[in-house]
Amino acid sequence: MTATTDIATFEAAKRQPGERRRSRILLTLLLSLFLLYSFMPLVYLVLSATKTNGDLFTTFGFGFGTEFNLWQNLSDLLARDNGVFMRWMFNSLLYSTVAGLGAAILATAAGYALAKFKFVGRNLLFALVLGAVMIPQTALVVPTFLLLALSGLSDNPLGVILPSMISPIGVYLMRVYIDQGVDNELLDAARIDGAGEFVIFRAIVLPLVAPGMVTVALLSFVGTWNNYFLPLIVLRSPEYQPITVGLATWYQLAQQGGGGGQVLFSIIITGALVSIIPVIVVFLLLQRFWQGGLTAGAIK
Amino acid sequence: MALSNSPAAATRPARSGGFTSRTLAPYLFLAPFLLLFIAFIVAPLVYAFYISLYRDTLVGGRQFAGAASYVKVMGDAKFWGGVWNLVLFGIVQMPIMLGLALLFAIVLDRGQVYAKGVFRLGFFLPYAVPSVIATIIWGYLYGPSFGPFTQMAKAFNLPAPNFLSPGAMIFSLANIVTWEYVGYNMVIYYAALKAIPSDLAEAARVEGASPWQFARLIQLPLLWPAILLTIIFSINGTLQLFNEPYLMRFLARNTVNSSYTPNLYAYSLATSNQQYGYAAAVSFVLGIVIAGASYIFTLITNRRRPEQ
Amino acid sequence: MTKIFNPLGRTMHRRDFLKVAGASVVVVGLPAAVRAAEPVKVLVWSWVPDLQLQVDMFNAAHPDIKIELVNAGQGDPEYQAVRAGLQAGSGLPDVVQIEYQHLESFRQVDAFADIGQYANAHKGEFPEATWKQVAKGDVVNAMPQDTGPMAMLYRKDIFEKQGITPPTTWAEFADAAKKIHAADPNVFITDALFSSGDWVTALLWPMGWKPVSRDGDKLVININDKISKDFGAYWQDLITAGVIETKPGFNNEWYTGLDTGRYATWLTAGWGPVFLTSFAKTSAGQWRAADLPQWDASKFATGNWGGSSLAVMKSTQHLPEAAEVAIWLCTDPEATKLYTTKQFFFPCTSALLSSPEWAGNKMDFYGGQPVNEVFAKSANAVTPFEWSPFQSFLYQSMSDEFGASIGGEGTLSDAFDRIQDAVVTYAKEQGFTVA
Repeated sequence: MTATTDIATFEAAKRQPGERRRSRILLTLLLSLFLLYSFMPLVYLVLSATKTNGDLFTTFGFGFGTEFNLWQNLSDLLARDNGVFMRWMFNSLLYSTVAGLGAAILATAAGYALAKFKFVGRNLLFALVLGAVMIPQTALVVPTFLLLALSGLSDNPLGVILPSMISPIGVYLMRVYIDQGVDNELLDAARIDGAGEFVIFRAIVLPLVAPGMVTVALLSFVGTWNNYFLPLIVLRSPEYQPITVGLATWYQLAQQGGGGGQVLFSIIITGALVSIIPVIVVFLLLQRFWQGGLTAGAIK
Repeated sequence: MALSNSPAAATRPARSGGFTSRTLAPYLFLAPFLLLFIAFIVAPLVYAFYISLYRDTLVGGRQFAGAASYVKVMGDAKFWGGVWNLVLFGIVQMPIMLGLALLFAIVLDRGQVYAKGVFRLGFFLPYAVPSVIATIIWGYLYGPSFGPFTQMAKAFNLPAPNFLSPGAMIFSLANIVTWEYVGYNMVIYYAALKAIPSDLAEAARVEGASPWQFARLIQLPLLWPAILLTIIFSINGTLQLFNEPYLMRFLARNTVNSSYTPNLYAYSLATSNQQYGYAAAVSFVLGIVIAGASYIFTLITNRRRPEQ
Repeated sequence: MTKIFNPLGRTMHRRDFLKVAGASVVVVGLPAAVRAAEPVKVLVWSWVPDLQLQVDMFNAAHPDIKIELVNAGQGDPEYQAVRAGLQAGSGLPDVVQIEYQHLESFRQVDAFADIGQYANAHKGEFPEATWKQVAKGDVVNAMPQDTGPMAMLYRKDIFEKQGITPPTTWAEFADAAKKIHAADPNVFITDALFSSGDWVTALLWPMGWKPVSRDGDKLVININDKISKDFGAYWQDLITAGVIETKPGFNNEWYTGLDTGRYATWLTAGWGPVFLTSFAKTSAGQWRAADLPQWDASKFATGNWGGSSLAVMKSTQHLPEAAEVAIWLCTDPEATKLYTTKQFFFPCTSALLSSPEWAGNKMDFYGGQPVNEVFAKSANAVTPFEWSPFQSFLYQSMSDEFGASIGGEGTLSDAFDRIQDAVVTYAKEQGFTVA
C-alpha cells in the first residue's frame, strides 16, 4: 500500500539506520507483550484441553499435565450425550453461514437503495436502522420469544437465523461503500441503455462491492456464531442449539449439584477449543477482504 | 475509485420480468431487509413496550399499570446502581481499550515492526472467541485459590492476587472485555488509516514534520469518524454488558449480585421475579440511557472536533 | 403394574360424538391386527441423564403408552420454558421434572393436574416428609423421583492429624473449625455455600424455619425470626473469625479445594457421596460420612437439599397416561433401582432406603464405609417444610443479601432483615395478602 510505503520512506528520510532498527525492535517488543496477552488465554485453553479432569485442577495452568489426554478428551467430547457436540457445531455453522450470506445480501440491497436513490424518509429510515443497534438485547429477546411462540415458530432454527440476518451495521457499511464505490454515471448509462434496475444491481453494483459484502458476511458470521442470548431463549431442544448455548449448558450443568450433576470440565474445555477453530479458519480465509471493506466504512 | 470493467452490462438490452421502475426500485431493494427488521426488531419492540405498560402479579395476573413501571425504574436504586457500575467500568476500560487499539493501528500502519501480519492477526484473534468462552477461560485464570496466577505467585512467595474480590471485580471484567475487543477496534482504525491518501504523507515529509506530529495533526483528525464510531459502539456495548458478569457469577456470586449491570437486572427480573412488564420497562429505560449517552457524547465531541 | 385405563373408555369420554362415530367407521373398516389403538404419546421433559433407559423399560412394558423424552434444559431454563408455555398456552409437556422447591410456585399459577386418584395408592411407599412435598392432603401433583437428605462428609485424615473427633453438634463444629484453621491457615473446616439459597435453606430446615407459609388465603412471612437470627449469629462468628470460607460451590476452584484438602468437610445431601467421587481423585479413601451436626443432641432432625419430582401438567390431554408415566417412573422397583446404579440418584422410596443391598453398599472411596446408611438415616429424619410460591425470588434475595453481608454490609443477621423486607415488598406487589 502506498501510504505505508510513503510513511516508511518518510521515516527513513528522518532517521539513521541504526536508530530505525532500534525503535523497530523496541516497538516489536512492545507489541509482542500485547500479543502474549492476547494469546495467553488461548494457550491456557490449548494446554487444558490436553489434561484430564484431575490434572486440570491440580497441575500448573500453563504447563502440561501428568499425561497427554487430548485424544481421549476429544473422543469423550464427541461421544457425550450421543454426539450432540458435532450437532451443535453443525448448527452453528449452518446458522452462521446462512445468516452471514443473508445479511450480506439484505444489507447490500438496502444499502444500495439508501445510497443511490432519493426517496421520502430516506434519512429518517437510515437513522432508525442505526438506532436499532442501541436497543438492549434483553428488551428484544423475551418478546421475540413470546411472539415466536404465538406464531408457532419457537424452538425453530429460523427463530435464530432470521433475526441474525438483520445487520444495521452492515447496512451502514454497504451504504457508505456503495456511495463511494459505485459511480452514478455508470448506473445512469446503464439505465439509458435500457437495463432494468435489478439487472443493474446484479451486474454492476454487486461485483463492485464484493469486498464490502464479504465484510458484512464475515461480521454477521462471527456475530451469529458468538451469539448466546438469542438462541438461549429461542431454542429449546439440544439438537437445535448452537455451540455457545450447548457449551454454556454443560458449564452450568457442571456448576450445579442437586443430583445428577456431573463433572464435565475437561470436556467443556476441549469443546471450547474445538469451537473456536472454524471461526479462525474463516478469518484466515477472508482476511484480505475485510480490510478493504472496512476501509470504506470508516470514511465519512 | 477503481471500477470493474463491465461495458457489456451497460449495453445489454432491457430485460422484461425484472422490476424496471426506478421509483419503485428502492422500496423493493429495501423490502427484504425491512421485512425482517419489522418482524424481529420493530414488532418485538412494540410488544415489549406493550408489556411494559402492564404489571405481572402471581395473584392477580396481568394488570394494566400505565407508566407506573417507568416511574418505578426512575427511582430504582438497583437499576441506577447497575448503570453507575458500568459508568465506572466504561471510564476505565474504554480509553484503555481504544487507546491501545489506536496505538497498535498506527504502529502497524507505519510498518515499524517485524512480523506485521502476525501481530494483526494475533490481536484480532480474541475477537473470534465467543464471550461465553472467553469468560469461562478468564474465570479459570482468575481462580483465587488454584488459578495459574495464584500458583505463580505462590511459587515466588508473593501474596496471591484476588481478581474476584468486590474491589477488583470491575477491573477483572474490564480486562476480559478489553482482551476481547482491542483487536476489533484496531482493525477498524487500521483500515481507516489505510484510506488516508498517500500524498498527505509525502506532503508532511516535505514540510519536515516528525512522525508524531504527522500522527497528531493529520492522521488523528482524519481518523476521527472511525474513532467516533468505535466510541459509540463501545458506549453501547458497555452499557449493555451481560454475558461476562452473568458467567462470572458462578465464580463470584457474592460480588456479582443480580443487579450488577442493568441487563443482568432485567434478566433476573424476568426469570427470578417473574416481573416481565417491569423487566421490559427496565430494558427500555436502559435503551434511552444508551441513546442519551451516545447523543451527549456526540454533541460534546462535535464542538471540540479537531480541525484539519 | 395394572393398567389404569381402557382405551375405548377414554375415547368415549374425551371425544365428541361425531369424532367417535367417524373413528368407529374407520375402525370397523380396518383389519383386526391394525385395529389395536395407537399408543398414546406422553411428552416428558426431564434433564435426568440417561433417563432414556428407564423410558425404554416403560415403553417396553406399556404397548399402549409411549414416552417421548426431551431434555428442555436443566433447572431454570426448563422452568422458564414451562412459564413461557403457560403464558402462550401451548408448547407444554405432559410430565415435567420439577424440583421440590419450585413446585409451590407452579401450584400458584395452577399449572398442575391432580393425580391423586391414581397416586394416593402409593403414598405409603415414601417417607412422610417426602410425600408431603408432592401432596397436599389428597391432592397430589407430582411423584417424588429423588431426594437429598443432609449429612456431613468429612476428611478423616485431616481430623486425625489434628486429633479432633468429627463434630456431632454445631457447638463442636465451631470448636473444630477454630482448631483446624489455627493449625493450618490453608485449611478450613468447610466452604459455607451462602451464595446457594438452597444450601442455606437445607440447614435452616431442621431448625424449624418457616420463611413463607400460608394461613388461609394469607401469606405469613417470617424470614427474620429468632431461628434465622441464631443461625446468622452462629455462622457470622465463624466468618468473622476467618475460620470458614464462603465462596460459591460447584466450580473448578471448589472442586480442587475439596480434593486437595482445603476444606475438611462438605455439608451435603444424599447425592453428594457419588458426586464427590467423580472429581476428588487424589483424596479417594480419605473421606467418611457422618450425621449432620445437631443443634440439640437429643432431637435428631435433618433437612433436604435438592431432588426433584415428576409433575403432571394440568394442560395434558392424557391425564391417566401421564399419571401412569409419572407414577411408574418413580415407583417401579426395577426402574427406581436403576436410578441408584446408573444415574446415582439418592433413592426416595422407603423400599430402597431400607434395602440392605443399597444401604449396605461399601464404597472404597469412603474407606469401605457404607455411607448410604448415614444418609438413609437422615432421610427418615427430614422434617416437613413448606416452600414459598416465589422460591426463585427468595433464593435470589438470599444470595444477593448474604453476598452483600459477606462483602461487608452488616452481618448475616442483618441480611435476614433485608431479605424479610424485600420479600414482604415483593409479596405485596404480587398481590398477596401478607399477614
